[in-house]
Amino acid sequence: MGTLQKYFRQSATYKIFTGLYETFYDFVETLGKISQNGKQFVKCILKDGIDKNELIYQCYRFGVSSLPITLTIVGMTSVIVTSQVALEMVKQGGGNFIGMMMSILIVREVAVIMSGFAIISMIGSSIASEIATMRVTEQIDAIKVLKVDPISYLFVPRVLSGIIMMPFITIIAAAVGVIAGAITSNLFAGLSYIAYIDSAWLGIYMKDLWVSLLKSVFFGGTIALISCSCGYYASQGAKGVGLATTKAVVWSFVSIVVWDLIFAAAFFF
Amino acid sequence: MSIEVKNLVKIFADKKVIDDVSFKVNDKETLAIVGFSGSGKSTVLKLISGLIEKDGGEIITSKGDIAMVFQYSALFDSLNVADNIAFALHERRDLRKKYSPEQIKKIVAQKLELVGLKGIENLYPSELSGGMQKRVSFARAIVTEPNTILYDEPTAGLDPISSTLIEDYIVRLKEETNAASIVVTHQMSTIKRTADRVVMLYNGRIVFEGTPENMLEQDNEYTKQFVTASLQGPMKIMEGKKDE
Repeated sequence: MGTLQKYFRQSATYKIFTGLYETFYDFVETLGKISQNGKQFVKCILKDGIDKNELIYQCYRFGVSSLPITLTIVGMTSVIVTSQVALEMVKQGGGNFIGMMMSILIVREVAVIMSGFAIISMIGSSIASEIATMRVTEQIDAIKVLKVDPISYLFVPRVLSGIIMMPFITIIAAAVGVIAGAITSNLFAGLSYIAYIDSAWLGIYMKDLWVSLLKSVFFGGTIALISCSCGYYASQGAKGVGLATTKAVVWSFVSIVVWDLIFAAAFFF
Repeated sequence: MSIEVKNLVKIFADKKVIDDVSFKVNDKETLAIVGFSGSGKSTVLKLISGLIEKDGGEIITSKGDIAMVFQYSALFDSLNVADNIAFALHERRDLRKKYSPEQIKKIVAQKLELVGLKGIENLYPSELSGGMQKRVSFARAIVTEPNTILYDEPTAGLDPISSTLIEDYIVRLKEETNAASIVVTHQMSTIKRTADRVVMLYNGRIVFEGTPENMLEQDNEYTKQFVTASLQGPMKIMEGKKDE
């Protein structure tokens, strides 16, 4: 029996299933920790208040420093999409709908989700590696020994900055995306700016705007909370910092796509 | 009495890394906890400071703060020296409104003077030598006037002269603050220069308790092996596992 068990433990089937079990266990554990931290985050705001200076610094970091790359990504996406569809639509007699199509696409999806991706790769990864480094160099232990709540000190300003700044980033990104679409359709398909703008206005409803802004609030908070949590539970030195950063990026990507699906189902299905 | 540890137990992955450890440290007294790497020394400090939960026993402390000086200083690298020292005064709920910015500035200057580092308030940790970082972490630890100070290998990674300086400051802080001190170390010089009493751990259990002089004189096989740094003796170094 012992030999059989030993051979079974060495088999590929056993290794695949243990690997899957460990991944699932890690998934549930991380989800639990993130939820606990989210609850603690709310408690800390109510109990400790907000460090305004730190919040302003984190808002600058989250919003201002990430803006050039975010706008580049959203602008380029808009140019790529418009350049491929504008000429075809004009040829098929649908030139008047280019602005409408682009405004719906950008306001509802591209601006917020592309901004989310840019924020994850720039800010989320940086938050996760910063807090993970603090963990492995015992700085978080030092915070605890000094009787300061690490959630209040590390999470509150970062998560709040995500919640505050993400809607602003989304608004600017959407404006840049729509303008980039106008320029591209003019250059590639000869569509006049007036025709594009008239059509764009027809495509946007107030509901699109507020759903997009609400979505951006959820995206910003989720990205910051996941990044802080993954960094906070890092271990094993330099390798741990790398793993925490990767985990933060992967989890954030998956989470915002899941949020996007939930919002689409709730408001547009 | 400042701190008393009774029958302390800590288990990691079904292994008792701290097994029935008891000791007492009075005010103005320094206890050195010694032993090979992985014998459970740092775990004891983490249990006392509350960084990890105990699985058994009692830790009785008199009212007041417990401060800790970390092995590699653990200074906040995004804050300058002044903000590092004043961290608890700025961020702690009970202290935040107690001091004005002028008072905090004065306290920081006082603490820096106490550790012999006057006028470096605006420097960042990366601009300081290892010894200076350690002294800044001393200043940060004593800013809340603690009644117990824990030192985790305070001379690790320092040259002999810096180590002597750090040892002098441990003695000086004990006198200035009246605090009970626990120093985790495996340096004989640190034990001789700072400790009033010594506890030796091996595999999570106390194998010797006495004064530094006893440690050198007594016929204890564990201390004999430790002092002579011999590979022959009851302690098998490979058995030790890194503290969690």
